[in-house]
Amino acid sequence: MILAVLFANSVGNVLIERFNGVPAEERLHWRSFLVKLGADNLKGVKNEELLVACHKSVYIVYTMLGDVSIFLVGKDEYDELALAETIYIITAAVKDVCGKPPTERVFLDKYGRICLCLDEIVWNGLLENTDKDRIKRLIRLKPPSEV
Amino acid sequence: MAQPLVKKDDDHDDELEYSPFMGIEKGAVLQEARVFNDPQVDPRRCSQVITKLLYLLNQGESFTKVEATEVFFSVTKLFQSKDTGLRRMVYLIIKELSPSSDEVIIVTSSLMKDMNSKIDMYRANAIRVLCRIIDGTLLTQIERYLKQAIVDKNPVVSSAALVSGLHLLKTNPEIVKRWSNEVQEGIQSRSALVQFHALALLHQIRQNDRLAVSKLVGSLTRGSVRSPLAQCLLIRYTSQVIRDMANHGQSGERPFYEFLESCLRHKAEMVILEAARAITELDGVTSRELTPAITVLQLFLSSPRPVLRFAAVRTLNKVAMTHPMAVTNCNIDMESLISDQNRSIATLAITTLLKTGNESSVERLMKQITNFMSDIADEFKIVVVDAIRSLCVKFPLKYRSLMTFLSNILREEGGFEYKRAIVDSIVTIIRDIPDAKESGLLHLCEFIEDCEFTYLSTQILHFLGIEGPNTSDPSKYIRYIYNRVHLENATVRAAAVSTLAKFGFMVESLKPRITVLLKRCIYDSDDEVRDRATLYLSVLGGDGTVDTDKESKDFLFGSLEVPLVNMETSLKNYEPSEEAFDINSVPKEVKSQPLAEKKAQGKKPTGLGAPPAAPASGFDGYERLLSSIPEFAAFGKLFKSSLPVELTEAETEYAVNVVKHIFDSHVVFQYNCTNTIPEQLLERVNVIVDASEAEEFSEVTSKALNSLPYDSPGQAFVVFEKPAGVPAVGKFSNTLTFVVKEVDPSTGEAEDDGVEDEYQLEDLEVVAGDYMVKVGVSNFRNAWESMDEEDERVDEYGLGQRESLGEAVKAVMDLLGMQTCEGTETIPLNARSHTCLLSGVYIGNVKVLVRAQFGMDSSKDIAMKLTVRAEDVSVAEAIHEIVASG
Repeated sequence: MILAVLFANSVGNVLIERFNGVPAEERLHWRSFLVKLGADNLKGVKNEELLVACHKSVYIVYTMLGDVSIFLVGKDEYDELALAETIYIITAAVKDVCGKPPTERVFLDKYGRICLCLDEIVWNGLLENTDKDRIKRLIRLKPPSEV
Repeated sequence: MAQPLVKKDDDHDDELEYSPFMGIEKGAVLQEARVFNDPQVDPRRCSQVITKLLYLLNQGESFTKVEATEVFFSVTKLFQSKDTGLRRMVYLIIKELSPSSDEVIIVTSSLMKDMNSKIDMYRANAIRVLCRIIDGTLLTQIERYLKQAIVDKNPVVSSAALVSGLHLLKTNPEIVKRWSNEVQEGIQSRSALVQFHALALLHQIRQNDRLAVSKLVGSLTRGSVRSPLAQCLLIRYTSQVIRDMANHGQSGERPFYEFLESCLRHKAEMVILEAARAITELDGVTSRELTPAITVLQLFLSSPRPVLRFAAVRTLNKVAMTHPMAVTNCNIDMESLISDQNRSIATLAITTLLKTGNESSVERLMKQITNFMSDIADEFKIVVVDAIRSLCVKFPLKYRSLMTFLSNILREEGGFEYKRAIVDSIVTIIRDIPDAKESGLLHLCEFIEDCEFTYLSTQILHFLGIEGPNTSDPSKYIRYIYNRVHLENATVRAAAVSTLAKFGFMVESLKPRITVLLKRCIYDSDDEVRDRATLYLSVLGGDGTVDTDKESKDFLFGSLEVPLVNMETSLKNYEPSEEAFDINSVPKEVKSQPLAEKKAQGKKPTGLGAPPAAPASGFDGYERLLSSIPEFAAFGKLFKSSLPVELTEAETEYAVNVVKHIFDSHVVFQYNCTNTIPEQLLERVNVIVDASEAEEFSEVTSKALNSLPYDSPGQAFVVFEKPAGVPAVGKFSNTLTFVVKEVDPSTGEAEDDGVEDEYQLEDLEVVAGDYMVKVGVSNFRNAWESMDEEDERVDEYGLGQRESLGEAVKAVMDLLGMQTCEGTETIPLNARSHTCLLSGVYIGNVKVLVRAQFGMDSSKDIAMKLTVRAEDVSVAEAIHEIVASG
């Protein structure tokens, strides 16, 4: 299960968050934990360089894309490798929508589309789509090109 | 809560950046949402409003019931629009709003229409939305369409239905299980993702049917799996099948190993790592099987991608716990990871190195760690400290450098948990390695001179009181302890007074001086400190209030005979009256912990953190538990308690394990039973033991468990008599008998009438190893030479063909149940000879040392030369008998 997907800006404010199977009372803890993790480690990191950590029995993979940091938390079958695969798709889709690694402004301008992409990629904690070209079509309700 | 977005810093001003959601307010957005009701829908504007609603929801904003209903109703009007972009947004916002069950009805007809639409993408999305919001009854109505969707030629529709199936399986398993034929078809799909989702769903549907899973794995490992993700799933399912087959006694060549090994050559890195991990986790994996996996993991250690380095070092770290020698080839690569920018990777590398390093590399490693410690967070430091503690127990001769390291980091800055981990480690080392005691105690004394944590100070003072008086020069600790009385808070002062008193009592020569010091404490500003000082002065001074040495000794050093938890409850219930509190009224039986609580405890505390009395496990715990049962009081001193042996498989209705308690002429089987069915209460729980294959044993008595409610473990006991001092062996078959009563889940009350029932448990054996206690020696050579050479017994044995030397060594170690010394339990990879040093105490308290030399010839035949020295020559002979008959 992918427990959380979280996007934050450069000063640690949350832009998008999706929790799956995390009780409401634990979300605050996770939110602040992830933002702190980012603040401690993401400074000066290259675009899209993946960082990885484990905390208790869950895995965290996170990265920086333009001005936006992206965090994924998973457990069981979503270990660091599966999460790396997922975050790779997310970053590819976001870049596709924004045309480049986004500034916060561009990210917010394309907010609706990014939410749609995320909806196609992760659904309730399970990875659904993995191809950015297909996702690009799906968010406009166009069938995938191979059909 | 997420903060509203802040204006960017000044240096970004030139980019003219501002948030399009600047100053966004829920009320205003809800007003804007009225645009959904316009007769002429403006798709662009509506999409913008939906985006704002999404932004609010993603910021953690919540809508009241009325607000949510109103928005939801207006959103449903947007189904009139044919604009595809808007429709996609509508699907998303409905899922985000998650309407309540009474509102869902408004939207179901529109969604069901979309589900049968000619436009594929409407179908896919409608399925996802419907599955998110419907309940069981509605699901039966649309089941037909979902089954069709699974085999739809459009992979997006098919995937949507399959992933919905994965979600619905949790809430409506019986419906989803009916779809297996369609899902099976999905596995044959040419679309990689459909295959991945179908495989995941089919496995979930069939996970309890071992045969079906085995068939599934069998056919897929031969066929072609299209995506790396699906391949990873297949690897996981394959390892499960391998485990199940091993559990069910299938022997011979390990099935599917070739498949796992072939995955090591897959083109996708995630598949290679998954396969390597699966191989390293195989039960009883041999070094031949391990080698290819370790080789690929080693390559990943120098990968430029941090995720791959992390995955590789994490796997190697686990392997190092069971097969340290297999990992040694990677040590050079791991040493370079110590400077990895990613601290998680560096910490894993360090802890792996600590497990795989040999005695000669300890010092070099410690140097590297010292530099590394200064720039990692406390949580990582704790992991390193724990690893160092294990290392010290493994290589007792290296305690000096390890202790120096621990004392150095103890002086540096750090939080409570970190300091506690260090103190716990020092305490463990002091307890395990007698030579380390004096220096360890001095390090602790120096620490309390400048310790900001009251808890740690009091715990260390208590520990000093126990260990300090038995050292060569107890007086040197007094200064540190007495300083506490001047410099610390009342809690620490009180602890210091108690510790001083213990020194005074145990060390006759210190008594007069301690009395002087205690006298100074009777004017302390705190009641507790004054009271303790006064009390101890009267005990020490023998002023008539306490008559004998024995009484004062019991008072100062005796263990509290009742569990602390019970004592606390009794004291709370005690109402002040004329009648004094009577400690004899406190129940001595240890209350069993509920299962959930046990699980939550997680890591077993060690060192100072270990709770002194409560749980009935560990030798002390068992000893207390048994001595509290009157029937067992006459059996004498408990010699050994075995580790729990499981008598049921995991996840069965009743979980039972047994602990074998060995006394001189009795053996007590303690059956720990757990009832895992909430709807049942078990009463009169007993174990019927058939000892027909254990001739020297005769059953004396048994103690049934009166009541076994759900999730609250309890113990039943069966006692056997055996010839005194004789290491009798035998096999026992066990049947659990009980009366089962139905429990009403709503009230929790059980019915009056019950039904008698029984449950077959696995057999249990008492083996020669049960009569041996693992007791290590800090210097094997000294201990060996101090024993009489005359009493040595040597013999040679052929152990037959074995896969590896390690297997033979493990078999002998398991048979004898002795402690391995000086790290000789680890065997170099591909070694052809090895010497294993063992030590223990045999029943009758006879010290035994064993030197076992193994050699393997080219045909993998293994020979062993066993040299035994014991304090009693008959025991040395007995050890040879055990090996000869084993």
